[in-house]
Amino acid sequence: MIGNERHNLAHAVAGLLILAFFVWTFNLLFSIQSNWAESNEVIAMDKDVHALFDPWRNLNRPGNDVLENYEVDAQVTMLGRYLQEYRQARGRLDMHSHSQVDLGTFYAGMDAAALEMEALARRVLELAAQREALRLAGADPTLISAAETEAATTMARMDQAFQSGLEIIASIDRLLDQRLLNLDAARRGGVGSLYLIVIVALVSSALSLALLRRTAVQGEALRESSERLNAIVNNVVDGIVTVDEQGIIESLNRTAEKMFGRTSDSVAGHNFRSLLHSDSRALYDPADFDSGPQPAENKSRFTGIRRDGSEFSMELEGTRIHVHDRWIIVHIVRDVTERKRAEKRLQLAATVFENTSEGIMITDSAGRLQSTNPAFTAITGFAADEVIGQNPRILQSGLQSPDFYIKMWETIAETGRWQGEIINRRKNGEAYTQWLNINAVKDGSGKVTHYVGVTFDISELKASERMKDEFIATVSHELRTPLTSIHGSLSLLDSGAAAVSPEDSAELVRIAKGNSQRLVRLIDDILSIAKVESEKMKFHLRQVNLAELVVNAAESNDDYAKQFGVRIDVEPGTEDARVLGDKDRLMQVLTNLLSNAVKHSPENGVVNVATARKNGYWRVTVTDNGPGIPESFHGEVFQKFAQADATDRRKRGGTGLGLSISKAIIDRLGGHIGFDSDPGVRTSFYFELPMMQPHWDMEVGGERIVASTGLQVPAE
Amino acid sequence: MRDRHLNRILYVEDDADIRKIVCISLEMIGDYTVAACGSCAEALQVVDDFGPDLLLLDVMMPDVDGPLTLRKLRRRDTAADAPAVFITAKVQAGDMEHYRELGVVDVIVKPFDPMTLSERIEHIWQRYGGDGHVDAG
Repeated sequence: MIGNERHNLAHAVAGLLILAFFVWTFNLLFSIQSNWAESNEVIAMDKDVHALFDPWRNLNRPGNDVLENYEVDAQVTMLGRYLQEYRQARGRLDMHSHSQVDLGTFYAGMDAAALEMEALARRVLELAAQREALRLAGADPTLISAAETEAATTMARMDQAFQSGLEIIASIDRLLDQRLLNLDAARRGGVGSLYLIVIVALVSSALSLALLRRTAVQGEALRESSERLNAIVNNVVDGIVTVDEQGIIESLNRTAEKMFGRTSDSVAGHNFRSLLHSDSRALYDPADFDSGPQPAENKSRFTGIRRDGSEFSMELEGTRIHVHDRWIIVHIVRDVTERKRAEKRLQLAATVFENTSEGIMITDSAGRLQSTNPAFTAITGFAADEVIGQNPRILQSGLQSPDFYIKMWETIAETGRWQGEIINRRKNGEAYTQWLNINAVKDGSGKVTHYVGVTFDISELKASERMKDEFIATVSHELRTPLTSIHGSLSLLDSGAAAVSPEDSAELVRIAKGNSQRLVRLIDDILSIAKVESEKMKFHLRQVNLAELVVNAAESNDDYAKQFGVRIDVEPGTEDARVLGDKDRLMQVLTNLLSNAVKHSPENGVVNVATARKNGYWRVTVTDNGPGIPESFHGEVFQKFAQADATDRRKRGGTGLGLSISKAIIDRLGGHIGFDSDPGVRTSFYFELPMMQPHWDMEVGGERIVASTGLQVPAE
Repeated sequence: MRDRHLNRILYVEDDADIRKIVCISLEMIGDYTVAACGSCAEALQVVDDFGPDLLLLDVMMPDVDGPLTLRKLRRRDTAADAPAVFITAKVQAGDMEHYRELGVVDVIVKPFDPMTLSERIEHIWQRYGGDGHVDAG
């Protein structure tokens, strides 16, 4: 503040004067009360003088606040009015007193002192305002200090004027003592004390003026800023609710009023809890806001409730501040319903991004990777931080032509998207086929900001497609081959070509017949495998005694074995090998194993069939003494059209599907199929099925449930 | 444009029945001399002595298939320039193009007509047989 010492001095002087004023006022006014009563104007003046000091008292009140300073300001204005009235009153006084006491010599000095003080006080105020303006404008400090210096000088001159005023007062006293002795005591006292009162008031006023105006300047600035603050408070997007330390609402700003659908007045005096949904009411405690910012999770645990009963997600913050000698809590309230909804949507999107099986990569418009998801890592082998910032061309396999990429980007530039198959390379160097969908992401103005690539690995799909194609190609080949023989031999026979010898003719007939049979077997087997693999093959599950089935199978294949000069021996032993199965399908498996064994047995060989327990299963083993299965072929034994020695397969009449079919059937029945081969010594093919369990006979809802296979057994 | 007649055909086929039919067809009807082999190994044994004018190869054969058999035969001077023809039941889309890339002049699809097989072979010979084929005596 300006000239603080001067300020204090002024205060001290004013204080002294006021003390004197009170002494005089009480002493003198008391003594002249009765005589003086007739002068209403004087009484009015007296009131004004008292009024003059109220603001001064307020000024000195500790913790005085902005609003009270406004009142001070208003009374400073009154001081001006008072001074005017004083002059008028003095004029009237002059008329009363002129004849008795000649006070004219003092008038000029008194007026000059009063006017000078007033003028100086105004100057001090101006300088204070000027200094404040300079400070606010961030002006040169030398300008500010110049204003301060002048204010100090002015204050000193005010002191001088004040001293002059005191001297005049002293002179009046002396004059009154010496020259007014003959006057009526009461009148003299009245007039004298009135004069003194007026002078003291004048001087004090002038001094107080300086103090008051200075505060008034601040008050004005504060009023402006207060208005501005009000405007801000009412127009901010956040709701502001002030409550006392007990949580009792004092005010709502306009946003908060709108948010809750209630006026500030209608909720003032109620607890803040009344604005909360019952679920979160108990969570509210004004004491929580005593210390610093709240943790984020605390902010958002409240649900607000509007007047119409609707709810909204709320974010609540609070600051405890000291105002008017007490503490209040200023709450900032935000309706975060939309934000929460958006957050949820974002969260969902993020969850999808993280958990989808499609690889997702996002690049900026320059093609630098910005984000990839875990599926991308699973597919490519590249972790996100290994590829962020890089161009996706690091995934290129080199197996696509440059033209391919040029066309891809031409399409994206034209249509904003591209999709198709592309061969890329994983981090481990493995090339793989993926389906890729690239979309350009555009902003509002149509400018590309990002590219999003969604991809999934179709290498397995491609492999299975390839396998299917290969299967079809093989089937086609396998069917065409006997057909070629049939068609060829019949054509030659039909032509009656003289060149065909009788021996050749007989051979051609044999070829046509043999290949016809082979064709039929092939078609049957192909249908079987297709059915069993597509799970369309029907199984009629019954309790089957494998021991009996083995004997039957051996008998029915006996003739076939004899053609090869081979004997089938069934090992005696278990008679009660009960499993759950389909008799016909199991017979098909047994026939396949037996005929394979027979075909590969040496002449006069023996095929041995045995049934035995094995870890809760019944195992049937078919053993032959043929050449066995070369090690290199072990992995392909059960594959379709796989034959270790295809050269002689026609001779042996196999289709290459028998073991595939057998495996599919045993798999469906919950069993296992396998082989052991000791090349040149013996080869054993076996299958095993779970032993029949008593509870498998239980019927559930008309259907037997077979726990071991999951197959449903139709009711008998 | 043909100076030489087609005479000697080296035929490799793993299916004995088809081998028999082709042999009857080419020998009886076309009057060619045919060396019929059941495998690549067999063909490699006979090729030098036989001196083929033309190679007729099955494609799908165990162990060594037709294309590989052709490559192996090409390494022999006696079969290096002989026009080669595939005779095959494996004729899916794309196969034909692939076969031509392997250096055969034509492909005969199974089943074929044994009565016109020789005509077909002769026709192929007329078109490709003389090119770059030095007189083998």
